Amino acid sequence: MTIRFQRLLLILFSLIFLSSAILLILFNSKKNLVFFFTPSELINSDSTINDVVRIGGFVEKDSIINKGNNSYNFVITDNNNKVLVEYNGLLPDLFKEEQGVVIEGRLKSDFTIHAFTVFAKHDENYMPASIQKQLQKNQYWKKNYK
Amino acid sequence: MISLIGFSGLILSFIFNVIVIVSYYYKINQRFNHIFYLALYCSLFFMCLSFFALMFAYISSDFSNFNVFQNSHSSKPLLYKITGTWGNHEGSMLLWLLIMSLYNVFFSFNITLEDHVRKLTIVFQSFLYLCFSLFVILTSNPFLVNSIDSNEGLGLNPILQDPALAIHPPVLYIGYVGFSLILSLALAGLILNQLDNLWIQVIKRWAMFCWLMLTGGIALGSYWAYYELGWGGWWFWDPVENVSLMPWITGLALVHSLMITKQEQLLKRWVVFLSILCFSLSILGTFLVRSGILTSVHSFAADASRGIFILILFLTITGFSFIIFILKSPHSNKQINLLFINKTSALIINNIVMLIACITILLGTIYPIIIEVLTNKRMSVGAPYYNSTVLPILLPGFLIMSIAPMLSWQSNKLDKIKNYIYILIVISILTLLITYLTKFNIWGFTGTILGLWIIAASLLSILHNCLKYKFKKFFIYNNALIAHMGVGIMIIGITFSSIFQTKNNFTIQTGEIVNSGQYSLQLKNLKIEEKNNFQELLGIFLLHKKNEFLTTIKSSKRYYYVSKVITTEAGIYHDWFQDFYLVLGNEKNNKWSITIYHNPLVSFIWIGVMIMIFSGMVGIFKR
Repeated sequence: MTIRFQRLLLILFSLIFLSSAILLILFNSKKNLVFFFTPSELINSDSTINDVVRIGGFVEKDSIINKGNNSYNFVITDNNNKVLVEYNGLLPDLFKEEQGVVIEGRLKSDFTIHAFTVFAKHDENYMPASIQKQLQKNQYWKKNYK
Repeated sequence: MISLIGFSGLILSFIFNVIVIVSYYYKINQRFNHIFYLALYCSLFFMCLSFFALMFAYISSDFSNFNVFQNSHSSKPLLYKITGTWGNHEGSMLLWLLIMSLYNVFFSFNITLEDHVRKLTIVFQSFLYLCFSLFVILTSNPFLVNSIDSNEGLGLNPILQDPALAIHPPVLYIGYVGFSLILSLALAGLILNQLDNLWIQVIKRWAMFCWLMLTGGIALGSYWAYYELGWGGWWFWDPVENVSLMPWITGLALVHSLMITKQEQLLKRWVVFLSILCFSLSILGTFLVRSGILTSVHSFAADASRGIFILILFLTITGFSFIIFILKSPHSNKQINLLFINKTSALIINNIVMLIACITILLGTIYPIIIEVLTNKRMSVGAPYYNSTVLPILLPGFLIMSIAPMLSWQSNKLDKIKNYIYILIVISILTLLITYLTKFNIWGFTGTILGLWIIAASLLSILHNCLKYKFKKFFIYNNALIAHMGVGIMIIGITFSSIFQTKNNFTIQTGEIVNSGQYSLQLKNLKIEEKNNFQELLGIFLLHKKNEFLTTIKSSKRYYYVSKVITTEAGIYHDWFQDFYLVLGNEKNNKWSITIYHNPLVSFIWIGVMIMIFSGMVGIFKR
């Protein structure tokens, strides 16, 4: 087998492999990308029912309802709009009223989400930069949220 | 006072590294030879001084240091005062510098390489040191003086107060930062056109060592995530995990390519390319994590100026390295003899697979940033993306790994192929039967069978080697195969723990028993314990299997006084074949909500990693 032929085969193999990888990426990115909204953005977005989205904002005061059996309802707000969240599972330790929270879940109706995950934060001072930006725009940003 | 000593150490160490570089340019004069090494050792000495000054400030709770004030508290246990030194951005960068300096000095003891190659490597390493030292001095100085007079600090994030996380950063950094030496070696070899046997022999050992430490560091980190976060898993495709995985994968490709270079003396250009890529990805990772550009659970306090500085460092170092690579890369006239079915081609194909996997991860990690810049929409790329792209891409790699032992190095002939094929077929049929009769899951089946194939093929090869060499130097002849067995074990562990994990939610009262399969769990009692810096609510559970008592599991919640944070400590019952993982939730009407995860074969992951690291270390020190 000549060197040239070997090289050709190697390149061919790489190309086939690379293109199948690209196909995989393209195919999956359509399904698996999750958009990140604040409640106001969600209402203005073109998301439809059954889409998976991430919502970031603050837990509204007095909105947490413990339905027992690890089921919870709570409201996420950005001071303009609200989203009702239903969740079944353990809530993270840093989950509190009037604290920042990010959830990921499926839209059940325009204002209701069934959450799969409520994101725990490592640090009480930590808030995703993008959410911070949005909240500052809405003038909901208080210094002590940090 | 102590801050002053530390800062002077940092500056002096910087100056001595400048002297190292300057004296290299006057090397003609024999006198400067001594100065060269003397300056090198002095720079390490002052770096150590600086680092231990910071550590001392932590131990003695010297709150006149701003860094200590922000990240420590006098009620913290001594261990976490010591490890608190690198539990924050500034301190961890100081650790980074210390490790860089240590690598430089340890490398200077190397006698295998020719003198001028060694010296140029040291110069490049010093140059890299200067870059990062500048970064620390200008943007993240750990020795700032606290402007307010305070006799108490703000405390260390409680979630970091954990033994695994205390040693995780140093081990990880020994890996990450070690790649800087690989880069220096590659550049020195390129410029002097000395990519010879000796060079390969040397770079192979150092690369192997760095890569193994990185493996250990990542494993420690995921073990920590497993028991500390209380999410039942050990890998979350978090951006920070991804950025550590990228240099790991290129490092993997590098250490394997160096194996071929040993056999074939070729592919040097490829090896140099990978060496540059490893450290570039390490810096890129640092940039992504430290600039706060990525939203991740690991985010350090974000500061834009730091981000820009690291970005400039990244562009300078990577750009410079690749320009030298393009200008000076060797043109070997010998061609790669692929022959198709031998180990060399298997390794080359595996290299391609690894790089594509790395690109896929990189794409997923930076895609949200690009989209946000372009369209101002925010999105996240989560575990489903990685699971459905990276895993299928890695599959052919694992497949090749399982058949590689039956290939030979030099020829197209297959060694004793019949034995291998019989064994592989028997394993396949058995696995198919067992999975078919129990829970059939296509991913579970694929993972199990690949893992078993890899283990079986490696075992058979070890057996052949033993017949050949009669157990003489068993570990030395077989270390690569043993490491591959470790990988096989790990693959099985990963497959089982992620696919056959079960999760159950319960609410439970004191004394009550809940059943899950053939296991039953009873909440014995709850008690509150006062510790030095936290208060602990301890739930004591009794685990039974068919009325037979197995163990007590303690799951708790801790309230840290200083930072006013509650953390969950999952209670884990480790068994060889399964873990019971218990998280205590909230209380309502005296009923506690709990989540129980049943994770089969998790311990295989850690055992596999330990086997890999152990046999890799044997490989470094052989002969």
